[in-house]
Amino acid sequence: MSEAAVALSIVALVVCAVIILGSLAGRGIVMDPEQYMLGGRSFGVLFLWLLMAGEIYTTFTFLGAAGWAYGKGAPVFYILCYGPLAYIISYYLLPPLWRVGKHYGLLTGPDFFANRYQSRTLGIIVALAGFVFLIPYVTLQLTGLQILLGIAGYGSVSTFWAVALAFMLTAAFVYAAGMRGLAWASVAKDVLVLAAVIFAGVILPLHFFRSPAEVVSRVLAVHPHWMSLVGGGDQYGTRWFVSTVLLTAGGFFMWPQSMAGAYAAKNAQTLRRNAVLMPLYNVMLLLVIFAGFTALLVAPGLHGQDTDRAFMLVVQQHFPAWVLGSVAAAGCLAALVPASGQLLGASSIIVKNVLGDWMHLATSDRSRTLATRVMVLVVAVLALWFWAEEQKTLVDLLLIGYNGIAQFLPGTVLAFGWRRTTGAGVGAGIVAGLIALAFLAAKGMPTVAGLNNGLVALAINTAVCVCVSLLTRAPLEAHLDEFADAAREPRPS
Amino acid sequence: MNVRPQRLWTGVFALIPFVALSLAIPFVNRVEPRLFGLPFLLAWIVVWMLLTPAFLFVSYRLDQKG
Repeated sequence: MSEAAVALSIVALVVCAVIILGSLAGRGIVMDPEQYMLGGRSFGVLFLWLLMAGEIYTTFTFLGAAGWAYGKGAPVFYILCYGPLAYIISYYLLPPLWRVGKHYGLLTGPDFFANRYQSRTLGIIVALAGFVFLIPYVTLQLTGLQILLGIAGYGSVSTFWAVALAFMLTAAFVYAAGMRGLAWASVAKDVLVLAAVIFAGVILPLHFFRSPAEVVSRVLAVHPHWMSLVGGGDQYGTRWFVSTVLLTAGGFFMWPQSMAGAYAAKNAQTLRRNAVLMPLYNVMLLLVIFAGFTALLVAPGLHGQDTDRAFMLVVQQHFPAWVLGSVAAAGCLAALVPASGQLLGASSIIVKNVLGDWMHLATSDRSRTLATRVMVLVVAVLALWFWAEEQKTLVDLLLIGYNGIAQFLPGTVLAFGWRRTTGAGVGAGIVAGLIALAFLAAKGMPTVAGLNNGLVALAINTAVCVCVSLLTRAPLEAHLDEFADAAREPRPS
Repeated sequence: MNVRPQRLWTGVFALIPFVALSLAIPFVNRVEPRLFGLPFLLAWIVVWMLLTPAFLFVSYRLDQKG
């Protein structure tokens, strides 16, 4: 067998095995929408931890982080910071969100907005915006998949069709298994990715250099400014760093699939414990950054989008085909499992909030589950099309999505914090934030005075939300009382 | 809203790692001194990343008692 055949066979074998495992998990369960979208709100700490880690640590973890370590240096450290911050926020935000979701039987993130602000229109706006920003995130997984399959095939296979095939297989799996199958696939994915990351971040640096400290010293010898940020408002300076960390931490749990993940918890306490444990997962990212630094020393000279390929190319050139195949297989799972969650999240909001609440289609339990399943396939095709059209580096794609999705934060936090907040206020804020983002993008400005665009838009969004809320009428007192009661932690009796 | 005092304290407690990993970054943006062979900035981030679960765990225990 040729090297490409060995590596690609391993990838195919692993991906198929995980898809079969996930599909078996969904067998014999009657799929109502709550079961299909949220796994019946039954997940305990360990399962939830693995599911969320499975959704959050994506192909970006695998390739993009190494790519930035290779191509940019210290700015990549931002990805170590925002996770812990997001978990701190989640510790306070997700338990009341879960309680409200349980009390009212909410299925999606947009449902939360529609309910608290008593506005179906707001739910539809949030669903549409969430959908639009989720697409670049799915695209990111496809770009990652393409890089991995291209390298594992030693340049011998047509990557477009390989990606399309792998992705449609995944969509078929989501069609069949729903959230529960996804969680089981996450378990398998996490184990393999952990092994691959230890290889990349520990074995790889030690293979070429004696210790991580040696890697740091050598990088500094060649690139003296690689391990610190430039000051102030310069591109990728400290101001960019802090504002990007804050923005991404705030946007973290606003993704439709992350909100669904929170609803899937068994109870509010589970979410707290989960928040305590999640930052530990971040250690993997540190290892990936070291893989990127190692690649910079071993295979210098890549630029732009090619930096995303850096560490896999090192594996390809210096290790046997079976090692390459195993690492690539883990990487492919890191693309496909989160993509499954994203497909499910995107389909759920379209079916529940746009088709159901807006157009009054597919509102019975049976037709809603079926419609969500079909929508998974539709969204998959749409993402493939978008991916074929638009090519960017992985981190850039991720930041586009985050800027948009973070605009849901004011409406979510103020829902609990300020009774006076109105649906018109939240809606106007989101629209103002999105217009600000579009304006800055059209002007080609990556930052404003060194600050991340998304954070600037978020400030505008919050200001508009507060002003318009003060000018419009809040939902009925009776509803707000019930909502506040549902959100409150039951006192220990 | 009626915030219980210990809830407030757990909030302050969770704020420490939050600030350490965001607003404090410009003040620790340096290569020397190196810790565990890591440049100072990276070492700072890694230490606080590992401390965050500890801080959240203390908050969790305080909440349990409250």
